[in-house]
Amino acid sequence: MVPLLVVVTLFYLYPATQVFRFSFTNASLLREDHRYGLESYARVLTGPAFLHVVWITLIFVLVSIALQLTLGLVIALAVQHGTRRGLRGTGLIRTLVLTSWVMPGIVIGVIWQIVLNSGSYGLVNSVLASAGLPRVGFLTGSTMALWSVIVANVWRGTAFSMILQYAGLQAIDPVLYEAAEVDGASRWQSFWRVTLPSLRPILMINLVLISIQTFNTFDMILALTGGGPGRATEVLALHTYNVIFRAFSLGQGSVLAVVMLALSLLFTLVYVRLLRTEDRL
Amino acid sequence: MISPRRRTGDLLTYAVFAFCVLFFGLPLLWLISLSVRTPAEVYTASLNMVPQEPTLFNYGSVLGSGRFQGYLLNSLRLTLAGSIGAMIAAAPAAYAASRIDFRGRRFFLIAVLSLQMISPLVIMIPLYRYYAQLDLLDSHLSASFVYIAILVPLATWMLKGFFDGIPTELDEAALVDGCNRLQAFRRVILPVSVPGFAAVFVLTAILAWGEFIVPYILLSEPAMQPISVGILAFQGSYAQTATQILAAAAVLAMLPAIAVFIALQRFIIAALTAGAVKG
Repeated sequence: MVPLLVVVTLFYLYPATQVFRFSFTNASLLREDHRYGLESYARVLTGPAFLHVVWITLIFVLVSIALQLTLGLVIALAVQHGTRRGLRGTGLIRTLVLTSWVMPGIVIGVIWQIVLNSGSYGLVNSVLASAGLPRVGFLTGSTMALWSVIVANVWRGTAFSMILQYAGLQAIDPVLYEAAEVDGASRWQSFWRVTLPSLRPILMINLVLISIQTFNTFDMILALTGGGPGRATEVLALHTYNVIFRAFSLGQGSVLAVVMLALSLLFTLVYVRLLRTEDRL
Repeated sequence: MISPRRRTGDLLTYAVFAFCVLFFGLPLLWLISLSVRTPAEVYTASLNMVPQEPTLFNYGSVLGSGRFQGYLLNSLRLTLAGSIGAMIAAAPAAYAASRIDFRGRRFFLIAVLSLQMISPLVIMIPLYRYYAQLDLLDSHLSASFVYIAILVPLATWMLKGFFDGIPTELDEAALVDGCNRLQAFRRVILPVSVPGFAAVFVLTAILAWGEFIVPYILLSEPAMQPISVGILAFQGSYAQTATQILAAAAVLAMLPAIAVFIALQRFIIAALTAGAVKG
């Protein structure tokens, strides 16, 4: 136990208490002295940027996880069907989807920056141009940029949902499907009445895990849009970084970090509760 | 005779596969295609995936630069230190959590889990300040400890899962034969959990290879930075002027992680899903 406890104390517990301490100061990275007070909280929570950042983060997380869950389940169903029927290319597809998941986040940002660019080397815009359609500023328009970031995140995260859903599908007792078929259920009906209810526990676990992963996303967005244009894609993690390391405001950045910490704790509690009701802990 | 129901199933499956090839495959293919193009062909917006004059020149110039070699080497060092360190720190605790029914065991496991939910950015804020005060910035050794800290929760949970799968009769036999707990762990449990350690190593190594926030904040000296930070610098200098160079660098940056993953795929997926599905 000792090695783990040392690591945890030095690198988690102590830093976490320090983040709390800094959040009650007006500390800056540029000077040593600081005084205590609620000034940083007041500034952050009433500042114009905060609500915008929360809103952007909310859209980014909700849309990303909805798409990842759906797409992950659809691909898992296809892979399962393909494996059962011995369809060619099934293994290849699974590997392809997983490849985008093991890649460094920064590289994912770089790839999508190249693919969506308006320059001649942008894949999507080159396709549009060759079809005689006007070019689209995927990374330069505010709404478009947010969608681009979401698409890149779905590209990165879908594989994780796929493997969890696939494992969940494998665990469903085939007898249930046979019974449904005997009762004259259509494919569609047995999906709604058998597949989805059986997957519920794993879908819930999946939901919590990808929420927190998406919520903590930082590197991919930095490489793709840098949070821009303006603040159009500046999610909470990126905003926290910018406040501390670009604006050097340790106090205000720590307030944001406390918000992040509180949210992770909330996610953990939900997750633990889920594991407990499903009797997995 | 294939039933019509199966046939529509096959068709739908292939439709999904086609979507996967387009959505997941095309961006990768485009990156690889750009990386083997001459500058002229990058700017003519040619949609041919195979360029007219494929060239490995871009790879040569990326690999030939000392800066890039340095990035790769730094990544390798940090990755190995982080993964191996995390396993060493996690193994005793994981064994204890699996075998000894100590007070607060459940709380301990939940606490470790909650650490994994914390964004590394949050802990990096005070760590940066203290590292700066203690003059520990721009050092691989001190950065490795943060890598270890970030990987340790996952390593603990995964290793505990493996130890749970080893019959307790094994340790009991060792204890009866006069071993103490530590000896039982070292002589009996460690040898049989080699596959478990291997899976944890591969997964944590892939994560460490892609780790960005820690080195981005702690290592400002370009000669110390790993490839994840290096690629961002490459993007800054080449995105507009020499996309083919950036593309080649990006391919090289992701190659190690992908190669290891593809080689050991089944292994990793089994380890990963075991936790979520069986608990």
